[in-house]
Amino acid sequence: MTQTDSNFLLDVQGVSKRFSGLQALNNVTLQIPEGSVHAIIGPNGAGKSTLLNVLIGLIEADEGTVRFDGRELRGMKPHDIIQRGIARVFQTPQIFPALSLLENVAIARLAKRDGKFAIKCVENLGPGNEVSDEAAEILTEVGLGDHVYESAQNLARGDKRRLELAVCLAAHPKLLLLDEPTAGMSRHDTNRTVELLQRISERGMTKIVIEHDMHVVFSLAEQMTVLAQGQVIASGAPADVKGDPKVIEAYLGGGPKE
Amino acid sequence: MSTEYRPHSWPREGIVLGVFAVVVFAMPWWLTWIGGYEALATKIVIWAIFALGFDILLGFTGYLSFGHAAFFGTSGYVAGLMFLHYSESIIPALLACLVVSIVLALVLGFLTLRRTGIYFAILTLAFAQMLHAAALSIFQEWTGGDNGLTMSAQPNLFGLPMDGLNVFYLAAVLVVIGFAMARQIRRSPLGLMLRSIKENQMRLEYTGVNVMAYKMTAYLISAIYAGTAGWLMVVYEPYVATKFLHWSTSGEVVIMSVIGGVNTLIGPMIGAAFMMYFENVVQSEIGELWKLVLGAIFVLIVIFLPGGFVDGYNRVRKVLGQKVPSRRHNVPDSPESMRKLRERGRTAEAGRTD
Repeated sequence: MTQTDSNFLLDVQGVSKRFSGLQALNNVTLQIPEGSVHAIIGPNGAGKSTLLNVLIGLIEADEGTVRFDGRELRGMKPHDIIQRGIARVFQTPQIFPALSLLENVAIARLAKRDGKFAIKCVENLGPGNEVSDEAAEILTEVGLGDHVYESAQNLARGDKRRLELAVCLAAHPKLLLLDEPTAGMSRHDTNRTVELLQRISERGMTKIVIEHDMHVVFSLAEQMTVLAQGQVIASGAPADVKGDPKVIEAYLGGGPKE
Repeated sequence: MSTEYRPHSWPREGIVLGVFAVVVFAMPWWLTWIGGYEALATKIVIWAIFALGFDILLGFTGYLSFGHAAFFGTSGYVAGLMFLHYSESIIPALLACLVVSIVLALVLGFLTLRRTGIYFAILTLAFAQMLHAAALSIFQEWTGGDNGLTMSAQPNLFGLPMDGLNVFYLAAVLVVIGFAMARQIRRSPLGLMLRSIKENQMRLEYTGVNVMAYKMTAYLISAIYAGTAGWLMVVYEPYVATKFLHWSTSGEVVIMSVIGGVNTLIGPMIGAAFMMYFENVVQSEIGELWKLVLGAIFVLIVIFLPGGFVDGYNRVRKVLGQKVPSRRHNVPDSPESMRKLRERGRTAEAGRTD
C-alpha cells in the first residue's frame, strides 16, 4: 500500500466511487496537513459532496483509503468517524427543527463530552448546567446569542446555516467539513460567515470548504483542489490554480469570477 | 416570543408530583361521584402506566409502535404462569415479567427499529400479531388458548393479599414513581437525545451519536412500563385474556396517547382515564353506541385538537390570557437568568473578536 506521511491530518488515497453507470469519484487523492484550510471547487456534479460523504461514512467508497489522524476510516460507522474528530456542515442545513437553538448545540456538546452513547438521566439540563451554558456561549460566538430559546425551525435560512455551524463547532472537531457554507446568503451574511470562519481558523482548526464563491475561496483557503467529473484536475495554492488552463476550461469557463 | 420558559426547580417538581399523587390516590373516591367505581380506578391507573411508557417512545422519539401489546400481553401470561406454577407472591412474577419484557424488547427492537414511520408501525404490528397467534396455537398448552389463562390464585405481597384497594395502592405508587422517572428523563441529557431522534436522525448520527442505541433505550424503557402494566393487570384480576396480546390493545394505547396529547406525559394518562371511563361507564349508559361516539370524539380531536386534551387545556388558558409555558425547553424564564446567560455569551464573544 501507499506509504503515507503522518504529517497529514487527512490522507485520502485513490478513492473511487461508482454509482450505476456514473463514475462519481475516480482515483481521488487529497492530503490535508493539520491546521490548514483547503478548498474544493468544481462544476456541479464534479463529485465534491460525494467526496465529503465518503469521508464521513455516508457513502462507502469502492476503492481507496481514507486515513484520518493515523486511522483508517473506511468501514467505520458514521458516528464513530465523527467521534474521532470530524464535523460536517451539510449543503442543506441539517438541524433539529422543533428544538431550541440551545438544545441543538447542547446535543453536540453532550456527544463530545459523553461519547456516542451514555445514559445520563440524573443531570438536569438548563441554566447553571455546564452543557447548556457552553452551548449559549457558542451560539453567541456565531451571532445567535439573542435567540437561544427560539425553535430552530423559526430561523431564516442563513441563520440555520449558522446554527449548524455552531452545532459542528460545539464538538470541537479536529477537521471541519463545510459544504457551501455561504450558499443562499446575502453578501452581508457571506462576509460575516467568512469572518467567523477566519476567526475559527486562527484557533488552528483544519477545514475543508466546498465553495462556488471565489471571493470566499480566496479569503479562506491556503490550498485548493479542483475536481471535474470525479477526478482531481489541479491542486495547489489558489493563485496558481486559478491560472491553470485545464481549470479555466473545465470550471471557470469564461474566466474567473471575481 | 409568546412562549414562556420555566427553569427546573425541585420545590416546583415536588408540588407537581404531590398534586399528581393526591389526584391519583383519591381516584377511588372522586371516581364514584361521576359514576365510576373502585375497580375502575385500578384499571385506569394500570393503563396510565402503559400509556406513560408509550409516550417515552412515541412522544420523545416519534416512533409509533403498533405492537406494544406484545409486552403488555406477554408479561400478562408470564405473571399468570408464575402465579399458577411458581408462587403467588407478586415479586418473583414482577422480576420474571421485567426480564421477559427486556429480552423481548431487545429482540423486537433489533428487528424493527431499523425502519421508520409506517414501516416501523407495520413491523411492530406484525410481530405482536405473531405472538398473539402463537399464544393461540403452539403455546396453547400454557396459555389456555382461546379461553385465556384461568387460575384461582390470590396474588400476595409478603403475605398481604393483593385484592381490592391493595392492588389500587400498589398501582398508584407505581404510576407516581413512573411519572417522576419519566419527567426526570425528559429534562436530562438522555431525554434530549431521545427527543432529538424525532427531529433529525441524520444530524444526530453525524454529530457523533449512536442513534440506534438511543432508539433501543427508548424502546426498552417503554417495554418496561408496558410489562409492568401487564403484570399489574394480572395481579388485579388473576386471569389472562387473549385480548392482552391482541392488536386492539396496541391500538388502544395509541388512541389514548393521541386523544390525551402525545409528548406531554400527563396527556396519555388522561387519555387512558378517558378511554377506560368511556368503555366502562359511558358504555353502560348509551349501550352499543359508545364505540361510535368514541370514534367520533377521536376524529374530532385529531382534526381540531392535534395536541389532544393537553393542547385543548393550553388553548383555553391562552384565551383566558394566561401564560402557557413551553415544555420543550429547560431554560429560565426570569429576566435575571436570561440576562446572565447572555452576558456570559457576550463576554465570550468580545474576548474572541478582538
